[in-house]
Amino acid sequence: MRLSFLEVFRYTRVDSVIHRLDPRAKLVMSTVGAIVSLMFLDIIPLVIILCVLIPLLAAAKSLRRWARSMKGLGALIVFIMVFNTLYSTSPTPFSYSLSLALRLVALMTSFSLFFLTVHPDELSQALIQMHVRFEFAFAMSMAMRYVPTLGQEAYAIMDAQKARGVELDKGNLLRRIRNIVPIIVPLIIVSIRRALSVAESMESRGFGACENRTYMEELHFTRRDWLVVAISLSIAILSICVRVWWGLPAWMLWKFPF
Amino acid sequence: MIIFEDVHFAYDQIYPALRGVSLQIDDGESIAVMGTNGAGKTTLIKHMNGLLRPDQGRVIVNGVDAREKSVAELSRTVGLVWQNPDHQLFLDTVEKEIMFGLRNLGYTADEAEERCHRTLTQLGLEHLAERSPFALSGGERKRVALASVLATEPDVLALDEPTIGQDAGQKERLAKMLREMNYEGKTVIVVTHDIEFAVDHFSRTIAMAAGIIIADGPTHDVLSNDLVLEACSLTPPQMTVTARALHQVFPEIPQRLTHLDELEDVILKIVGGEG
Repeated sequence: MRLSFLEVFRYTRVDSVIHRLDPRAKLVMSTVGAIVSLMFLDIIPLVIILCVLIPLLAAAKSLRRWARSMKGLGALIVFIMVFNTLYSTSPTPFSYSLSLALRLVALMTSFSLFFLTVHPDELSQALIQMHVRFEFAFAMSMAMRYVPTLGQEAYAIMDAQKARGVELDKGNLLRRIRNIVPIIVPLIIVSIRRALSVAESMESRGFGACENRTYMEELHFTRRDWLVVAISLSIAILSICVRVWWGLPAWMLWKFPF
Repeated sequence: MIIFEDVHFAYDQIYPALRGVSLQIDDGESIAVMGTNGAGKTTLIKHMNGLLRPDQGRVIVNGVDAREKSVAELSRTVGLVWQNPDHQLFLDTVEKEIMFGLRNLGYTADEAEERCHRTLTQLGLEHLAERSPFALSGGERKRVALASVLATEPDVLALDEPTIGQDAGQKERLAKMLREMNYEGKTVIVVTHDIEFAVDHFSRTIAMAAGIIIADGPTHDVLSNDLVLEACSLTPPQMTVTARALHQVFPEIPQRLTHLDELEDVILKIVGGEG
């Protein structure tokens, strides 16, 4: 059991055009990417979306990491393809499953564009400047901060249970699902225990002592950020028009005959 | 018997953790593995039951290449006790928790129950059998995790930092139990930073630094070597410090001493008592 596909949601400390963008602009960009991927379920439009997103990832110097993650996702994609092809009621089950898989990849890619390039601190600062209460913003960035820790913990737990004879990659589906219990329960317990101790240590360092916080670094929108927002929103509006009124041109509806 | 033949291992194929480790562990040895954080100690013991597989070289457990066996199969021979008990406890009573591993390894319900109770008695945990592991203290959880491995009666027992969070009494008790297991012919391997624990209870010490074994031999020799102590960032054991202090006054007292009886003998000779 590998969780390497989560890699793509982890911040990477690189200096790139995308990293330097304002997190709010990137939020708009990623959200538009995700919404557009959800609006279409045909092969060509989804491929086009990916053709836009992947160069952006390349600009963020994260293409290799993305490729590794997608390899980790391979098993799930195969699973989606096989099951949907077998059980779909669509007249062209293979094309349908292919577009579902493409949609998953497109969704993950657009979110990864955000999470790969926004430092948790930047995210919380962005939320605060969008008038989210500090406590919520802080909780959010903490959650992001702990994703990799949780991943490491999951590996340690898997190792511990394997050493007790749990065979994670053997047996039928039902057995495999049952085998998740010895992993999930300790993971939850460990997380709760950690949450409690983090809360205690935060309070002992004066968390929430001052009503009005000041911030060392504030975010400022530059012309480049406005440009990104403008382009993203135009794409969103264009896609909505196509989806709701104009309809896709015939060549974009192409699919495999099976 | 466990043999490592020039084992190399790197996490994610990038971060080297073992850079050519060769060693032989015979049946019935008692070994302390020492070294700084990140020296490769835990990585070493994870190779013994197949949780990690060498990138290069071989691990041979009881004459069979570890590659040919699954972790579950190897776990019958090599029991690993983890640093953090919370990584394995997940059932609602201590009893079920201990029986879980036994059932996985193929023991019948009756056998498992019998072994479970024997182990609990041995560790003085009978009164906790019906309790939830989550409601226990840190030290107790650690002992429950230990019990869950002991119950499977592996030939080789490898413990990762077993003394952390245990008071002196518990530590003594643990040491006594490990010694008894060792007398019964089981191999006991302990990863520890606790130098007194190593000196008092383990006859062989393997010192590691940066993924290689820098010293391997009788505990007294290894742990009275200043270079080793420095590389493992250890302070010398009390007996060595004492011996060195006494050496300033009585040159007859050798500086490389770590055992109480030896020191007693020499002092008795000096003061004219029986040697």
